[in-house]
Amino acid sequence: MKIKNIIITFVSAIAILFSTSVVSFAKVVGDKIILGAAVSLTGKYSSNGVHTQNGYNMAVERINSMGGVKVGGKTYKFDIIYYDDESNPKRAAQLAERLISQDKVEFMLGPYSSGLTKAMAPVTEKYGVPMVEANGASRSLFTKGYKYLFAVLAPANLYLDVAIRTAVELNGGKGVRIAQAFEQDAFSQDVRLGILDAAKDTGSEIIIDDKLPKELNDMAATLAKVKAVKPDVLVVSGHTKGALTAIRQIAEMKVDVPMLAMTHCDAAKLSKQHGKNSQYALCASQWHKTLTYKDKWFKDGMTYDADFTKMFGYAPPYQAAESSAALLVFKDAFERANSFDQKKVRDALAATDMQTFYGNIKFAPGGQNVSKPMVLFQVMCDSAGKCENKVVAPLKWASAELIHPIPKWSER
Amino acid sequence: MNKNIILYTFILIFGLAAPFVFPAFKVQLSILCVLIVLAITWNIQGGEMGYNTFGNILFYGLGMYLCASVQVGMFFPLAEWTESGGEKTFVHTPAQFFQGFGVGLAVAAVVPAIVAGLIGYSILGLRGHYFAICTLGLGVAAGEISGGIEIIGAGQGFTTPPFPKVGSLEARGEFFYFCSFIVLVLTFIAVKSIYSTRFKLVLNAIRDNEDKAEAMGIQTMKYKIIGWMISAFFCGLAGGIMGGLVGYIDSTDVAFDGREMGVFMVLMAILGGKGTLWGPVIGATIFHIFKEGFWTFFLGWQYVALGVLIVVIVIYFPEGIMGWLREKYPEKFGEVIDDADRKAQVELK
Repeated sequence: MKIKNIIITFVSAIAILFSTSVVSFAKVVGDKIILGAAVSLTGKYSSNGVHTQNGYNMAVERINSMGGVKVGGKTYKFDIIYYDDESNPKRAAQLAERLISQDKVEFMLGPYSSGLTKAMAPVTEKYGVPMVEANGASRSLFTKGYKYLFAVLAPANLYLDVAIRTAVELNGGKGVRIAQAFEQDAFSQDVRLGILDAAKDTGSEIIIDDKLPKELNDMAATLAKVKAVKPDVLVVSGHTKGALTAIRQIAEMKVDVPMLAMTHCDAAKLSKQHGKNSQYALCASQWHKTLTYKDKWFKDGMTYDADFTKMFGYAPPYQAAESSAALLVFKDAFERANSFDQKKVRDALAATDMQTFYGNIKFAPGGQNVSKPMVLFQVMCDSAGKCENKVVAPLKWASAELIHPIPKWSER
Repeated sequence: MNKNIILYTFILIFGLAAPFVFPAFKVQLSILCVLIVLAITWNIQGGEMGYNTFGNILFYGLGMYLCASVQVGMFFPLAEWTESGGEKTFVHTPAQFFQGFGVGLAVAAVVPAIVAGLIGYSILGLRGHYFAICTLGLGVAAGEISGGIEIIGAGQGFTTPPFPKVGSLEARGEFFYFCSFIVLVLTFIAVKSIYSTRFKLVLNAIRDNEDKAEAMGIQTMKYKIIGWMISAFFCGLAGGIMGGLVGYIDSTDVAFDGREMGVFMVLMAILGGKGTLWGPVIGATIFHIFKEGFWTFFLGWQYVALGVLIVVIVIYFPEGIMGWLREKYPEKFGEVIDDADRKAQVELK
């Protein structure tokens, strides 16, 4: 009898699931513009997925509270349907399909990471659904001829290009010896290609070229080699985990290297989590709060930083800022298109040319944002041990001078 | 017998009509077909033969990479296609796409089967936990190795050819649905027909007591290898289709996805009841429905919900759904119990 009850519960649960999942949303319901997004709430990208989601939510709230989007003389508010892609490309592709064909979403926001964006782009492209993404930087996204994909960020190969060029400059224009280790994923591998290009350009030599596994939590082998061959620059990229692992093990093993260039320092909250151990790390960033860009919704970087911190309890990494910018781009495009026709919105997106607190946004034919340079910041600590990220390049925004070479561990 | 024909006809009609009746669920239905194929093929080893393998994901991933590589490589230089910074864009004509996919699928079926034969020859001598652990390593190793091979995209991943512009917007979904449905039907027929031969009895003999089976003069190794090759053949096909459906192959997250697909195929077979023909089919269907439901309604908690489901299954249906049904209604499974027996059973309780 008990088991019979369980079966009845099971069957009715299935029935309920089916009946409710048929309820569909439409692109525009009443005064709401519904956007679809799959972000990583679980899995290896979960922390960055949450940054992305917070960035989206913050912008939605701000735009809605400041009057929403005006299309055809009517005011609309943004709303987002979220799904969890579990940091899995297979899941992301499936969810893109689901958002479009089941939830009838007609406009999409991007997921976190290049790999997941690569998985979703073919689907949105097929249905002609405009997607503004803020977290897929891999260059190969922009060479596939996608017409409905727009990225507010600079492509991945430019991330650490500046670091190598700076190192060469400080070396008197002579090539440097580079050691590098990259995670096996689309984004980091693209950063690697950027370094290869920069090395070729500057006559630099790559003496260690390691691959790190996904889910990485150990790179001692690479660091042991670095200790032995003493390169001029050590480059590490592997999302948040890569940054954390590198700093932890460099400090543990007391690896001395004149320049340490990385990605994802602010997403990993390096200066907070590792304090003085993270000092002198040089980080590529799409955005920094001290940049002087302005817009009317978030005012400027400093205000965004303060508002975000108030709302979510931590300082916004660039992943959050660029995600917020994606919403601003959508709002702008809707208003210029003055329509919800996907084709018209797509054309309006392609013609975007605006400034946001996050930077200038203008799309190349491939869909990447070409009018915003990358910035480099360095983790700097005061004598009390309080660490902060300070912009060191490009010079226009630099708030501190680059410390080079990094002092040896024995002298710290 | 008559009843069976009605059942099969019904399922076939349902399968053929499904993408038109539930047009929004095409992708989920295609994935369901793939999951069922994986569960059925896992059951050949895990259920009938008593060899719990985690290595079938190897054939699935291999099939996926092979199918996509052949589809691209037949018409364009593969290295240029996968080169991440490549400025060139290649577009398949419809004829190239379908030809490539067809040939790719054939390769995706045959090569994994051969690989299964070779690997099986060397590791099927292991038994019990040793075999399980060894196969667990196969999938992990394949993921790491493929993540380092530049020509298939390495860590960058492999974008499979986009579906050509033919027919309506729905054409892609329908195409992949029917591909996966056909593979499912083929798998089911093939497995059902081998289960009606002596082959299945040999597999069961190996499961029940391998030494005794050998002593009876059965060349167990030969049967174990053939069984694994059959699994690999259909796993490879399923992988090839899944690659085209997802559109992007990543070495550890999509192809050699031991953490998800590799575990799911075991779970589904056990949920439905291993060692039965219908168990994996029922298990995969229920599993998929619940999984999709949890993803929609328990966002962020889906794995917790899935965990609870697994616990419930293990406690209330340790033999799987088919096993439970068999205990409840033995006469439907051809076991003869007369009224006196049944009465005695009821009174005992």
